[in-house]
Amino acid sequence: MLAFLGSAGMLVALLGAGLLVWRGVVAARTDRHANIDSAARMLLSGSVVAMGAMVIALLTDDFSLVYTANHHARATPFPFDVATAWAALEGSIVLWGLILAVYTWFVLRRYRRSPDRLGAAALAVIGVVGVFFFGLMATVANPFEVCVQAANVGCADSSMWPFAAADIPSDGPGPNRLLQNHFMMAIHPPILYLGYVGMTVPFAYAIGALALGVAGPDWLRRSHRSTLVAWSFLTLGILLGGWWAYEVLSWGGYWAWDPVENASLMPWLVATAFLHSGIVQQRRGMLQAWNLILVISTFSLTILGTFLTRSGTINSVHSFTQSAIGPALLGFLVLTLVGSFTLFSTRADVVATSPRIDSFVSREGTFLFNNLLLTIYAFVVLIGTTYPLILEAFTGTQVGVGEPFFNRLAVPLSFLLLLVMGFGPITPWRSTDAGLLWRRTRTPVVVALAMGLLTAGLVSRNGWVVLSVTLGFFVLGTIAGLAVEQARRRADKMSEALPEALRKVLTGDGTFWAGQLSHAGVVLVAIGIAFAANLGAHTEVVLSPGDAVDFEGFTITYESPFQVSNPSKTTVGARLTVTREGSFVALVEPAANFFGGDETGIPTPDVLHRPGGDLYVTLIAPPTATGSARITFDTSPMIWLLWLGGLTTVTGGFLAMAARRREREVVADRQTAHV
Amino acid sequence: MGQRQFILLGTVGVIALIGGITIAGLNDNLTYYLYPNEAVERRAEFVDGETFRLAGRVVSGSMSEEGDDMTFDVTDGSATIPVVLINTPPPLFNEEVPVLLEGSWAGDTFIAESALIRHDENYEIPAEGNYPEP
Repeated sequence: MLAFLGSAGMLVALLGAGLLVWRGVVAARTDRHANIDSAARMLLSGSVVAMGAMVIALLTDDFSLVYTANHHARATPFPFDVATAWAALEGSIVLWGLILAVYTWFVLRRYRRSPDRLGAAALAVIGVVGVFFFGLMATVANPFEVCVQAANVGCADSSMWPFAAADIPSDGPGPNRLLQNHFMMAIHPPILYLGYVGMTVPFAYAIGALALGVAGPDWLRRSHRSTLVAWSFLTLGILLGGWWAYEVLSWGGYWAWDPVENASLMPWLVATAFLHSGIVQQRRGMLQAWNLILVISTFSLTILGTFLTRSGTINSVHSFTQSAIGPALLGFLVLTLVGSFTLFSTRADVVATSPRIDSFVSREGTFLFNNLLLTIYAFVVLIGTTYPLILEAFTGTQVGVGEPFFNRLAVPLSFLLLLVMGFGPITPWRSTDAGLLWRRTRTPVVVALAMGLLTAGLVSRNGWVVLSVTLGFFVLGTIAGLAVEQARRRADKMSEALPEALRKVLTGDGTFWAGQLSHAGVVLVAIGIAFAANLGAHTEVVLSPGDAVDFEGFTITYESPFQVSNPSKTTVGARLTVTREGSFVALVEPAANFFGGDETGIPTPDVLHRPGGDLYVTLIAPPTATGSARITFDTSPMIWLLWLGGLTTVTGGFLAMAARRREREVVADRQTAHV
Repeated sequence: MGQRQFILLGTVGVIALIGGITIAGLNDNLTYYLYPNEAVERRAEFVDGETFRLAGRVVSGSMSEEGDDMTFDVTDGSATIPVVLINTPPPLFNEEVPVLLEGSWAGDTFIAESALIRHDENYEIPAEGNYPEP
């Protein structure tokens, strides 16, 4: 029943996507706009039904579906049973399709307000992407296959025919253990996908504009706005992923230049470049061709990332077993690249007519530099990530690219970006004179140097730490200085009180100041990373109950081993009390979770969050018969700055969205008033 | 020289430079992944002290601790290599787990500086079998 419902939903969505392509193309060619609604409605309702069937199957332990049989267990508790819907290959493609359908709906709403050829063409492009993903679902990654031969645990053979007689297994093995270990698993993938899939929309507008040969700022405005939406979710998704890795994976890190992490970072970097260069085109009409390249590259990188993580070419938490989906995704990537860039090279002259830059010492000059750095950054990550694959494909040798490679290039690039970030917002458009720049940087430079010296004197002489604080305060100083300068000018002109003037300045140009908030967030991230990466301490001890150890000002006493069992898992761990200067701080319980009778456990660290930084406690070996346990302690100084900074950056993105919406409404009101 | 040519030339120059640095950096940072049989076969290529990664399974009954070090054997079924792990093992390191070790040869022994448990995607497949191959 659910197999039929799900398959039907999937096919309706596929049909809807195909119809969207056809009707979109017709509307874009003829400029007659009707009937697109029904196609989008089919796409959306079909994918909702498909996802719904999947979730119901998981919630009701319907093991007649292969997906449920192989990735779910009766004992899997809420919310992990629902999250299992995207914890394996086929399900994750369903989530992908659903999110694409939701974005289609928003594009359609925009299009219905004022139907035009660009909107229709964009919907057609989205339709093509939809056809591909729902096509994958209907063929090589079918989530609604019926189990026709049960195994002891899970399913041994399957059929695509939804009415096939099911041989229902009594239970399944449950989802990947690592993913069952934390509730974040229920949230991180959908958020990340909102970012990843969202990059389809700006791409669709860009390709639509190229195909129609419509010059002008229209495609850019829409691509820019939709990139902002996707970028904000992608930023949040990456942040949640890092937080999950840190809190759950018990290695104390949040970023390892793992191909999967890189897959999310590359489109983020290029989309960030576009968020900046898009402003240059809006303000000065420059960089049109460049912006098209960035938007196409961002989307292509999301497909590359999907290929890397979903094809089984790379072994990690995120990669699923090898299947025919790899070649299909690779084919789609090649098609996207060849198609887009062919279109670009034949039409770019129509779309892009750029005026020349007046001076490199200008806002647009800093944006150029920012774009250069971000694209080089993405390029470096791309080479480091794909080189082992290419080498293996040609020579059969398996190699890995070490973290030192990435760090050696990423660290200087990041600091250069911070420096440019300090100058960008205070440099006027077109051209500037040294006097103005000096006036605006004077105080921030003094503040930055003072903070740098203070850090070196009181906290640490570590060069990266001092540099990050110095550059960070330079950026924060220029932002604050600019706000004060503008508020003063306004206060003088309008004879307002300074706080009132400041408030009006900040709300008056909401997008700009939201951007600055994101900048401030990036600064916090940089300082947090510098502290946590350079000033952490580590020790490893074997303790018997009653033993105590002194570590970084803490006294940690091993009280006793413990064991807790519930239907889905058994937790074995060590109970320790942490004191500082004689007073009790907290109880920590690093543990190992053994799911459903597994021999191998999943380590689960306990992290004690403190204002100065975290104490990270990991159980290396579970307590022995005598109760002795091997435990490691780590500190991550100021790591909360990283999470706070990330959230600040995301908040900036969402505030910018809200500000743009307000601006649009104001413009709309004015237009109505003029009529 | 016009501005356009200047920008073009500058861009090409910068890309070439970055590309060069990147590739150079890559070759310094490549580590080879070898299974025990490959490691034995290519013993001559990887002289003592040259880092590579060894992937295999910890042999049952081979684990013991000597002071701060841990010794065990790693196998891929066809070749078995004795290993000394000189740093902290990963959490829940145990016999029979699939491991990825980074280190180098010292005579017939592999000196591992770090070890990772390879949590591959096939958690679902029980050791006994009776579950379909992917």
